[in-house]
Amino acid sequence: MKKFAFAIATTTLLAGLVAFAHDEQGATPQAPAAARPGATVATPRTTMPAAASHGTVAFGLTAVRQTELVTTYCATCHSERGKAGGLSLANFNAMRAQEHPEVIEKMIRKLRAGMMPPAGSKRPDAAAIEALTTALESRMDELASMSPNPGWRPFQRLNRAEYATAVKGLLGIDVDVSSFLPPDTLSNGFDNVADAQGFSPALMEGYLRAAGRIATLALGDPSSTPTEATYKVPRTQSQMEHIEGAPVGTRGGVSLVHVFPADGEYSFRVMLHAIPTGQLYGSIVRGEQIEISLNGQRVAVLDIDPRMSEEGVNGMNLQSPKVHVTAGPQRVSAAFLRQFEAPVDDILAPQDYTLADSQIGSGFGITTLPHVRDFSISGPFSVTGVSDTVSRRRVFSCRPTTLAEEAPCATDILGRMASQAYREPPTSGDVQTLFRFYEQGRKGADFEAGIQAALEALLASPRFVFRLEQPPAAARVGQTFQVADLDLASRLSFFLWGAGPDPELVRVATAGGLKTAAGVDKQVRRMLADPRADSLSTRFASQWLRLQDVDKIRPDALLFPYWDYTLAENLVHETQLFFASLVREDRSALDLLRADYTFVNERLARHYGIPNVMGPEFRRVQVPDERRGILGQASVLLLTSVADRTSPVQRGKWVMEVLLGSPPPAPPPNVPALDQTGGSKDGKNLSVRERMEQHRANPACMSCHRVIDPLGLALENFDVTGKWRIKDNEVPVDAVGELYDGTKMSGPAGLREALLKHQDAFLLSFTERLMTYALGRRVQPYDMPTVRRVIRDAGRQDYRLSAFVLGVVNSAAFRMSRVEGTDTTADR
Amino acid sequence: MFITQKHLSRRTALKSLGVTVALPFLEAMVPARTALAQTAAGGKLRLAAIEMVHGSAGSTAIGIQKHMWAPAATGRAFDLSPSSLAPLESLREHLTIVSNTDVRNAEAFELPEIGGDHFRSSAVFLTQSHPKQTQGSDVVAGTSLDQFYAQKVGHDTPIPSMQLCIESIDQAGGCAYGYSCVYTDTVSWASPKEPLPMIRDPRAAFDQLFGVGSTPAERAARRRRDKSILDFIASEVARLRRDLGPADQARLGEYLDDVREIERRIQKVEASNSSGDPRELPGAPVGVPDAFAEHVRLMFDLQAVAFASDITRVFSFKLGRDGSSRAYPESGVSAGFHPASHHQDREDRIRDFQKINTYHVAQLPYFLNKLKNTPDGERSLLDNTLVIYGSPMGNSNVHNHKRCPLIFAGHAGGQLKGGLHIKAADGTPMANPLLGAMHLLGLGDRAAFGDSTAAMDLNAAPEATAAL
Repeated sequence: MKKFAFAIATTTLLAGLVAFAHDEQGATPQAPAAARPGATVATPRTTMPAAASHGTVAFGLTAVRQTELVTTYCATCHSERGKAGGLSLANFNAMRAQEHPEVIEKMIRKLRAGMMPPAGSKRPDAAAIEALTTALESRMDELASMSPNPGWRPFQRLNRAEYATAVKGLLGIDVDVSSFLPPDTLSNGFDNVADAQGFSPALMEGYLRAAGRIATLALGDPSSTPTEATYKVPRTQSQMEHIEGAPVGTRGGVSLVHVFPADGEYSFRVMLHAIPTGQLYGSIVRGEQIEISLNGQRVAVLDIDPRMSEEGVNGMNLQSPKVHVTAGPQRVSAAFLRQFEAPVDDILAPQDYTLADSQIGSGFGITTLPHVRDFSISGPFSVTGVSDTVSRRRVFSCRPTTLAEEAPCATDILGRMASQAYREPPTSGDVQTLFRFYEQGRKGADFEAGIQAALEALLASPRFVFRLEQPPAAARVGQTFQVADLDLASRLSFFLWGAGPDPELVRVATAGGLKTAAGVDKQVRRMLADPRADSLSTRFASQWLRLQDVDKIRPDALLFPYWDYTLAENLVHETQLFFASLVREDRSALDLLRADYTFVNERLARHYGIPNVMGPEFRRVQVPDERRGILGQASVLLLTSVADRTSPVQRGKWVMEVLLGSPPPAPPPNVPALDQTGGSKDGKNLSVRERMEQHRANPACMSCHRVIDPLGLALENFDVTGKWRIKDNEVPVDAVGELYDGTKMSGPAGLREALLKHQDAFLLSFTERLMTYALGRRVQPYDMPTVRRVIRDAGRQDYRLSAFVLGVVNSAAFRMSRVEGTDTTADR
Repeated sequence: MFITQKHLSRRTALKSLGVTVALPFLEAMVPARTALAQTAAGGKLRLAAIEMVHGSAGSTAIGIQKHMWAPAATGRAFDLSPSSLAPLESLREHLTIVSNTDVRNAEAFELPEIGGDHFRSSAVFLTQSHPKQTQGSDVVAGTSLDQFYAQKVGHDTPIPSMQLCIESIDQAGGCAYGYSCVYTDTVSWASPKEPLPMIRDPRAAFDQLFGVGSTPAERAARRRRDKSILDFIASEVARLRRDLGPADQARLGEYLDDVREIERRIQKVEASNSSGDPRELPGAPVGVPDAFAEHVRLMFDLQAVAFASDITRVFSFKLGRDGSSRAYPESGVSAGFHPASHHQDREDRIRDFQKINTYHVAQLPYFLNKLKNTPDGERSLLDNTLVIYGSPMGNSNVHNHKRCPLIFAGHAGGQLKGGLHIKAADGTPMANPLLGAMHLLGLGDRAAFGDSTAAMDLNAAPEATAAL
């Protein structure tokens, strides 16, 4: 019966879509074939028969009965006076659902998650709840099908990540855009939500500076004057372990790819950390040396004087002699030569040789090692020219040898670059405009200077930094329209690759290949198979799961002496590899919760207690039952902890917000922190669980924490860093609890089963977030019918990730837009 | 809103590239007496808040007795010769000395805070608020005085405010005694939770203030290129707008405003460049100069020129890092700053420490004279500037925060008479004179600041007292 309901709802929606698409076409004549082919008013792309069943919501539950159920079981707490959760359902009337879609959607969400009515209160039987939920959903879906709303967002601009990817794609160099562009404002957890992307003079100037700097770096600058670039090394970066990219036989230090502007002499400076009184941190060990290497080749070895101090002439600096380096990106490392193998047997164990506390850096009994604080590259001194580099090869597709060849060559280069940067074939006017910059730059200088000037203009162009979508010429305010083929290509590629379309996609779009469902399907599958689809993991999933918060937690150095920066990096990488594998293998979205494998390297395997993993490369391993899925991954467990203890509340909140899509209400003001509840009582140690129970004795707290806490307490066997433990503060861990619906659960496996039991809520949350990221706007109540349809369709394909992606891509929200007047907001 | 965005940008920009060049010949660095008076800058009040760490020799018992910081007499007839303020003798008419105030919020309030003074003090100087002891990112202090002022006037200038420092900063992570390093690294706080990083590299500051390029010709070329690109962007935007829906048209219009804003800024720089004879300064080494005095002077040059051309009206400037053992051989003392500050109450060592204090104060006349010699409207830049110089620590030997150094220079647009030594009653919070200073800055609606008990009148000449 449920399945039947889905089918009807789907057809209803599609029928509606088709119907309104026809309307649109009738109302607006085809746009004249202008500069942007394909920007036409909506044309139907499905040929589903329009067998609609308007008006009736049958399924065994009449509107009267729905109203009765709500009045009986919900309105007692959600009364005019009580307004539990800020909601009154006292006057609920199912017949008038269309008047309050946001309330209905909220009800559906809580009912689907099994959160309402709460355990312990009077509840109808499960079948009645199911029937009510289905009826409400069908009603909303039907309403949507009668007046579909594709939504609208303002145009997007390239955020930091997209800008960097675009530059890398265009010129083959990595640039640190954080030095140019302001941080992106997150909205609903994502950095690409259009209406949160503000403008400011600083942004404008950032784009301008970036364009100038990147154009210079890409082509090299024979007239460049000496500059100094400084790279900081995190204090928590262990100096014991080998750093990725540094030569074998070294430990610690720093390894990076620096873009050198010209061939010439450069010098390198290493600054070491001092203890608070100014002497070298780690002065106990003698004879230490730092090796500077260029692409793995040693260029200098610097001796460390254990008596160096801030008072010295050179302070904490070690300076290399000048070294000749050629232009372009080169890997530079400054790392300690490894002179011992085994750990030192100390009186006190050091904190894995990180700088968690700088005061231990000179004490006897603790072997500390010098730490690199920052690394600077100065130059070029005495420039000798500019060698061939990856970006020069990419730009200079032709090299004029006579004056006559210059203009055609420049036109060719600029046309090609503009096509990629503007994400569509440039008009002749576009190329002419850039050519004028070429001429300006060429004047009094050479061909390359001309190209550089034009490249700079190209990078600063609004065509590059903004993703503008033109409505069809004849469309009026309020009308919806199908986005132009090339704009659709951009939407696809920014969704799946976090970057502009490749030539193939532009070609297909220009040839009308995205007009058919089969054509889109083919492109989506091609793009998902491409390595660039990793951005779904590094950008979408990372933001959804909040992996950036891992950086904000610094576990207490005394309790977790093994924790360091590299471990934190590895944890994030693990989760990203894991999600990427779900995409690549087109697995079920539910595997996010239940997969029996993950990715580890030696360091991480040691952390998890997995044997026989050697070396820094990540590989796929089977995990024991308690580590299955995302809830067993230390990244998530760490980012939901505080420095010196786990936080079941944070973990529970994370589960509710991220996995169930139902954020708990904010706590009332003036709640004391858990830290104010002591770690022991009556001489007995207390576990975090016991401290929490004391802490929330207040009944006002209990009503919410009864829901939040058990979700987190089920994960209490994982400590702050995600390591497995059986005791917390000497007290055996108790990971048993009761889910909000009354289900008993125990440990991570119990929580996993509980979540899988409420998979509807999980899939809803996942789909909503995927849509938010794909559309660049927050998902609104009017989008929920689409979300449900995507989930239903995906359900027929075992919830494979590609089914969600295709569902989103084929939705009206993704493929259509609306001509928006100035007096409306994006939330409408 | 507008200000917030600018703040964001500045913070990012500060992390900037990390690219520096030999500090170029700064054209129009300080135009000799020229037509600058006619520029828009005339009559606007500027603020430079300068912090030095480690208190002073004059805050010790012996130092008070021997007038090593605070002069013996209050009122106008004070004698600077025994004091670390002696280098300011020729500028005494522009000086308002407020002695004997305490920075109580830099004291330890709780057991674990004891001993952590070095890692807490700097966050208190301009906020007069007690920093939360944390090594995490959940730092809390207070909004700093310079930022209150920047929030008031910042939107009138291309850059709302700028933060400069001399010693290297170490952004993330714990420092010691359980304090985050940001408390040590900056004196400016946009809000109680928003520390603003400081720029150490004169070149990075220069690029932000005046544009990128290492020679005047390069910068001029850069500006020309920027202008033609801005023209290009403006015409592209105008063209693209036509084809968009009304809401997107409006959005693109906002961007056009920003384009115009940058154009205005370029014009301002050019106006100030053409207003004076380019004066050439010697080129500095690549990156940050090694010598303290050279570094400080470059930073002062930048502040003077930025004030003169009204690119910003607010600077905070941190001269040292707490706990730093940097040596200042030019002071005549070879011991590092921090070791010297723990003088064990021995008079000979206190005298050595005083030499270091004096050397630091001796950097000021360069800046003050520069401001004095730059016309600004009807008056000089010094007349229209309020300079604050002080330290949130008192007797560094015992890490106390009593009788801390604090002086004001300049006339705050004629509101501050100068030539005055005010000795506060014992136990007066430093927040009182700072609140008085905020009132001079037009922040008269502020009734309190940090632990202030009242706003001090910085012109109130006490009854002159003879030397004790």
